Amino acid sequence: MISFVVFSLKRAWQGFWRNALMSLAATATMVLMLLLLAGFWIIQTGLLAGLEFTEQKVEVVAYLQPNATESQVTTLRSEIGAMPEVAAVTYVSRDDALERFRTSMEAQGREDLTQYLDSNPLYSSLEVKLADPSAIRAVGDALREDPTVRNVINIEDLVDRVLTVTNILRTAGTVILIVVGIIVLFIIVNTIRLAVVARAEEIEIMRLVGASDAFIRWPFVFEGAFVGFLGAAVTLGVLWAASEPIGGFMVEFFRVLPIQVGTLTRDLVTLVVGAGVGLGVLGSWLSVRTYLIR
Amino acid sequence: MHRWSRLPPFGRGDSLVLDVAPPAVPADGVRTGTPAESLVSIASPPSVRSIRRRIFERGRDQALPERAVLVLHDVTKQYPNGKIALRDVDLVIPEGDFVFLVGPSGAGKSTLIKLLIRDETATKGDVVLDGQDLARLPRRQVPRMRRKIGIIFQDFKLLPTKTVWENVAFALEVTGHPRRQIRPAVDRVLAIVGLTAQARQIPAQLSGGEQQRTAIARALVHGPRLIIADEPTGNLDPLISWEILQLLLRINELGVTVLMATHNADVVTALRKRVVALEEGRIIRDEVGGAYHRED
Repeated sequence: MISFVVFSLKRAWQGFWRNALMSLAATATMVLMLLLLAGFWIIQTGLLAGLEFTEQKVEVVAYLQPNATESQVTTLRSEIGAMPEVAAVTYVSRDDALERFRTSMEAQGREDLTQYLDSNPLYSSLEVKLADPSAIRAVGDALREDPTVRNVINIEDLVDRVLTVTNILRTAGTVILIVVGIIVLFIIVNTIRLAVVARAEEIEIMRLVGASDAFIRWPFVFEGAFVGFLGAAVTLGVLWAASEPIGGFMVEFFRVLPIQVGTLTRDLVTLVVGAGVGLGVLGSWLSVRTYLIR
Repeated sequence: MHRWSRLPPFGRGDSLVLDVAPPAVPADGVRTGTPAESLVSIASPPSVRSIRRRIFERGRDQALPERAVLVLHDVTKQYPNGKIALRDVDLVIPEGDFVFLVGPSGAGKSTLIKLLIRDETATKGDVVLDGQDLARLPRRQVPRMRRKIGIIFQDFKLLPTKTVWENVAFALEVTGHPRRQIRPAVDRVLAIVGLTAQARQIPAQLSGGEQQRTAIARALVHGPRLIIADEPTGNLDPLISWEILQLLLRINELGVTVLMATHNADVVTALRKRVVALEEGRIIRDEVGGAYHRED
């Protein structure tokens, strides 16, 4: 068994270098296709993160009655916080609200008009962040029913429209990624098929001298895996080299978005190596199969 | 390989004497050392019917597994497109025989060879090689069966990137032989075909005859029971053709059965071996000591 694996690996290595032109052409195609796939995957990941970021911005603000007692507010706060659709509830007191208003005016460089007022005209409020933005109606209705709530700003229709757009973008991104994946699959499998077909005579001779199917198949499968691995390595090298200049202007974008660069890199490496080796093996297996089944 | 190990080793110089003047080979100059020739006497040219009967009787005698390398019984091959390539073919080839398979193009020679190496299976009838019915052979067993056959082609089918030595060793490598067995076996067959000196050259550096001898060495290296040669001299000039024939006869003397499909009338007629003639898928003639053309 071990000697068979050694034999297959050795034959795969020989097969790669003795048909260097074909092998390198297949590897080059592999690199281009993996770059295409990785590029679309990165765009898709960014898109999804952007959509998630947008959806996280959905927030229900409930203004409270000025005569609401502290215990009423606490009860309402814990009731709303217990709803599964709710991610977090923040209480903004009247003083906090005034402070925020002053800060934002100052940031815009406008005159603080509140100093001419003799009392604080703002209401205290609950800011409810949603785990699932499509639950906005349920949360909004629950807040409106409570007597301590003065009013809830009606943003349901706006949120619905935003969700429609994000869902379309999400679906479109996934569809495009799948289509690109299929294109990459066919091109790589066909390129490897060409490399195998160029060696049809070798397979023919192996059959005639009585080589078993395993002895014919596995060297080609290992060779396909090797082409895939080499292609993946070159692809990752190119991506790494490109990440420096691209990262320069992308860094702000990534800082805003809820993306962890470590996870992104890990997933990307897995995707590129997995797709490269997997498609290399698949291509070889299918190509050799046509010569074995007779 | 195991068979060769029983044979006395060949020295460097005496492996082959290939200095025979081409068409002057005497018809009785080569002995096969087998009883095959005495099985059918041809005092007068026999009719097809009597040949068929004789083949059948001989088939019964010879069909014992240890005596006949190859038995075809009532074999018909029809291709999926409806073309019938072989009809009711009966053929028995005893161990050690040397058989010429002749006939015009399209007569069914190639189909017959494809049946023997189980590239195709018979539509009807039995093809029994070394006691194994090929139609009933499971697919997984086919490679093992093919190692009992050595095949030689008109176009040599050598791998251009490998040396002579590697081309021959390839047949053992891809059938899972360990390296320590491969080296002596390859050296020995290269000595038999007289290519020891050319072992490190690639096919493009060799003459046509040397390329064919490489192919013969590759066919021999497993120690096959049967050598099938499909037009082995088709691409070679007459002088080299005789050289190849001498080599095949020598291998036959070593006890390997040889089946050679050919259009080379000079060779067939001069050697007076067993001749099986196919026409339109039928065996129309099967005579020992026959010529290429029918001698009425």
